[in-house]
Amino acid sequence: MPQEFQGSFLLLKSAPHMNADDALCLEICYEMLDFRQFMTEKLQDPSRMDYSMRTDPNNQAKITNQGENQILNNGRVQSWDPKTMLNNLSFLEQKIHRLQELVHMIIGQKDQVSSNQDEVFTQQQQLITADLTSIIVQLISTAGCLLPSVNPSPLQLNGVLFPPATSSGTGMMPQNNDGQAQQNISDVKSFEQSNQVDLTANSVTEINCNSMEEDHELKDDDEGKEEHLPPGSYEILQLEKEEILAPHTHFCTICGKGFKRDANLRMHMRGHGDEYKTPAALAKPNKESSSEKVLLKRYSCPFVGCKRNKDHKKFQPLKTILCVKNHYKRTHCDKSYICSRCHTKKFSVMADLKTHEKHCGRDKWLCSCGTTFSRKDKLFGHITLFQGHTPAIPLEDNKATLGPSNPTENNEATNKTADVGFNFGSNSVNVNGIENLMDVKGDVEDPYLSLLNYECSLSGLQDFPPANYDDTSSSFSFLISGEKNAV
Amino acid sequence: MPVPEEEECCPILSLLTDDLLTRIHSHLPDPTHRKSFRLVCQAFHQVDLLARTHLRPLRPDFLPTLIARFSSLQSLDLSVCPRLDDSLAAAISAAISAHRRRLKVLGLSRATGLTPLGLKTLVSGCAPYLEAVDASYWCQRFGDREALALSFAAGLKELRLDKSLAVTDVGLARIAVGCPCLERLSLKWCLEITELGVDLLAKKCLQLKFLDISSLKVTSSSLSSIAMLPKLESLIMVGCVSVDDAGLLSLSNGCPSLKEVDMSRCDGITSAGLCSLIKGHPDLLQLNASHCMVALTFALLDALKNLKFLNVFRVDGARVCHSTFQTINTNRWSLVELGLSKCIGLGDFGITWLITGCANLKVLNLSCCDSVTDAAIAAIAGSCIKLRSLKLESCGSITEESLELLSSSCFLLEELDLTDCCGVNDMALSYLSRCTELKFLKLGLCNNISDKGLIYIALKCSKICELDLYCCPDVGDDGMAVLSIGCNRLKKLNVSYCSSFTDKGMEYIGRLEELCELEMRGLMNVTGAGLQAIAAGCKRLTELDLKHCGNIQDSGFWALACYSKNMRQINLSCCAISDVGLWMIMSNLSCLQDAKLVHLPNVSVGGFEVALRACSLQLKKVKLVVSLKFSLSHEVLQLLWSRGCKVRWD
Repeated sequence: MPQEFQGSFLLLKSAPHMNADDALCLEICYEMLDFRQFMTEKLQDPSRMDYSMRTDPNNQAKITNQGENQILNNGRVQSWDPKTMLNNLSFLEQKIHRLQELVHMIIGQKDQVSSNQDEVFTQQQQLITADLTSIIVQLISTAGCLLPSVNPSPLQLNGVLFPPATSSGTGMMPQNNDGQAQQNISDVKSFEQSNQVDLTANSVTEINCNSMEEDHELKDDDEGKEEHLPPGSYEILQLEKEEILAPHTHFCTICGKGFKRDANLRMHMRGHGDEYKTPAALAKPNKESSSEKVLLKRYSCPFVGCKRNKDHKKFQPLKTILCVKNHYKRTHCDKSYICSRCHTKKFSVMADLKTHEKHCGRDKWLCSCGTTFSRKDKLFGHITLFQGHTPAIPLEDNKATLGPSNPTENNEATNKTADVGFNFGSNSVNVNGIENLMDVKGDVEDPYLSLLNYECSLSGLQDFPPANYDDTSSSFSFLISGEKNAV
Repeated sequence: MPVPEEEECCPILSLLTDDLLTRIHSHLPDPTHRKSFRLVCQAFHQVDLLARTHLRPLRPDFLPTLIARFSSLQSLDLSVCPRLDDSLAAAISAAISAHRRRLKVLGLSRATGLTPLGLKTLVSGCAPYLEAVDASYWCQRFGDREALALSFAAGLKELRLDKSLAVTDVGLARIAVGCPCLERLSLKWCLEITELGVDLLAKKCLQLKFLDISSLKVTSSSLSSIAMLPKLESLIMVGCVSVDDAGLLSLSNGCPSLKEVDMSRCDGITSAGLCSLIKGHPDLLQLNASHCMVALTFALLDALKNLKFLNVFRVDGARVCHSTFQTINTNRWSLVELGLSKCIGLGDFGITWLITGCANLKVLNLSCCDSVTDAAIAAIAGSCIKLRSLKLESCGSITEESLELLSSSCFLLEELDLTDCCGVNDMALSYLSRCTELKFLKLGLCNNISDKGLIYIALKCSKICELDLYCCPDVGDDGMAVLSIGCNRLKKLNVSYCSSFTDKGMEYIGRLEELCELEMRGLMNVTGAGLQAIAAGCKRLTELDLKHCGNIQDSGFWALACYSKNMRQINLSCCAISDVGLWMIMSNLSCLQDAKLVHLPNVSVGGFEVALRACSLQLKKVKLVVSLKFSLSHEVLQLLWSRGCKVRWD
């Protein structure tokens, strides 16, 4: 910790009116400062920077990749703006100095006894608390910029993979949330310990497997995310096709009835006698307490040639049984569920269909070039990117037609873009053009289609239902002809 | 040989060339003076026709003809023009293009009779030259289609969309893309607009100098995109509750030419954020941080010192710590306006400290600072001799001594608000009459003043044009008698609940020829004859409030219907008006836009129906009792709605 910070903090700690909360906040500040120092050192030392090196057992690859990694590291350093950081820090420094002056003044005033001392005292305390709070908030948000959370999607370089970001603190000023900051601190601590190679395990919010893994209909959030375990650090299991497609996975040992969920089976077992009613029998089967020593379980797809099959060159294991099931159905089975609204979209997993039906036909945001978007922010990103494009406004009736209208062309344009796919793979809130390009391409074969049912985090978006587009074919005007292929 | 008659009777005209007349004409700011000017003779009228650039018609009838005659017309305000609809819009548009008028400014505030089609006709009629459009207060009638119609004015530089409740991000995007030269844009109360729209606006309209995003649901991330606007000078964001210090921090790093920020009622903003903004923009001229979570701290006052050019600073409702002032000794500001109303904990010491450095102060607001006493006023009188406006509403501790001090040093005082100051009495008014420049005086709820005090005012303060005597029970006819002689320039008068007023007093009010707005609620002694006198005398009356005047008979309302052709707003709630009287008023007052018709005991449902049908063409807003919602016929409501009239149910 820099000397000046230390000094002022010690001084603040020794202030007589400091209460327990303030002291706690100061502790957090300490931690954040330590963390800042740690990060600064780390950034200065490139060898400490690339965690990914440790994930690669192949030394040769490490050497060959060194150059590329450094470029990448530079990119990472660039992504938090050092100038902004410096600004923030000097801002903080000044604030602390001011606070220091104020406390000095208070100490000076202590000597003079005045009649309304209590009142003045509480006011001073409030002032200091307010200032302290803002300092802490500022600190936390500043520190948030430093977290190694840059790329929304994992980067891959010859098999060396960087972990995906989880922290939302990518912006200059993230949410002022102490809890989150503490979360970040703990993240960072785990980095520090970093003997564990599985970085994603620390950061990715895992689905509670106990409650969900047996459910065929539930969706897995993990399949889309890559995890990068060195081969051999986990045990590979491979289920057979029949096992995967079986409707039930839990069978009653007495009557043979099948269940999707383990819990349902336990409930069923109660009917077979009192011995199944004991709390021990009804309790969830425990996970092994000494889980560190047991090898991690990862799954392989039985379909030969699939990237998820263990024999594949760039094999990527599946995390849970649920992942296996959904992967197998999505990739290697017929899509038998057809959307009842549009009659075009097909799905092999029921949950995917349900997700699609929630949005089908409703969220059609249309640009004047004829491109449709499922989300308003995507449309606006598109408009920002392309000069002259504007959102199209549907007209209620034909007599109010204002612009040049060409129904046949509209039809064509609408049909052309009817199959626009969704790309939810990124957790970036910022609307940027590249994402939109991906969107517009209509990536229908994306296996992660509607996998991550990612809601736009701009709150309030839901409050603005789009206009009714029921009469799609004839009601749009203002489609600029010739711009259909602009994307 | 006969000499031409004109030269004989007007020799002065031979000296005054058209050029000279035009120059004279340009020195007449007041429209009434211009009216007198053009009534002199044909030549004067001709000059007026040539020189006139602005037109604000009260009647639609001859509008196309007028456009044809005013050859240099640049600005057309249709906000008070009744019966503005698509056909009239088409006629105006045709006249403008036929006569090649280069219309730059179009006022369409509250023009809810227009459909998108009419709006588009109008806008495209003057499209290549159109620079400013005011389409505020359309409420639900302004949606994306209307925005689309406006976006055809590609050269638009100024646009007001206040309270366009139906316009969404899509409409805003149309405007942002269609009018890339926008310099001034007001989106106040456009509640459907979100961050997406604002972000897009900030990316598309890089010329923006003025932006009002008051009450929008935007957060600090929008401010960071607004901070990218290179030319922004004024940012108004009143009541953006989701904006916090982080937003101000990003603003402090952007917008290099920022001069004015209004962040009042942004609950997320604290002194720290304000300090960061100040640090980033040392050239700020105006700063309004009223009713935020701002406290007047040491740090803030210290930072404010660095703002060399700050003119206007408002921190109404701020928390003030007494000890803050003790720590700073010197203070020199260039402030012209200071707002400190409702500051918690601000006492005489604090005010004295803040005021002493502000020798140039012209506007000071101390409303609801209840601990203000004569000592603070003495300090103000001592240091701010240039003071023009002083608001002391609800400062109960000040006495006539304050006014004596003020009137002995602040001779330039034009506006004084003494509402609810019970320390003000007749003596105080006699001191106050020394301020002969007074134009706006508010004495509402001052129970201790009487006719005698008003006599002092009437004798000396002849420039008063706005007087508020709300609920002064001792003020009556005699006071009004002197006021009507001494202050005959009164434009706005409030005598509500001055219960001693009778028809006699109304006769005196009738002598105020320039009176535009009159509020006379709860005068039970006034009858039809009184209202008759007002209607006959005050021809310019545009707003009238007669609520709870229960003893006015129909004769008064008939007179009103007959004379007050300029009436725009009327409140007849709880009056004893009959079916016929209401019908007379609603059908004859052709400029009427807003009527409040609640609790009319003598009006039947049929009476309402007929009256509303009669005025459905011009009415924009009407307030009715909620029971009528079910008894009125569907056709009438449909008719009102189709003309863009908003019905408020009480």
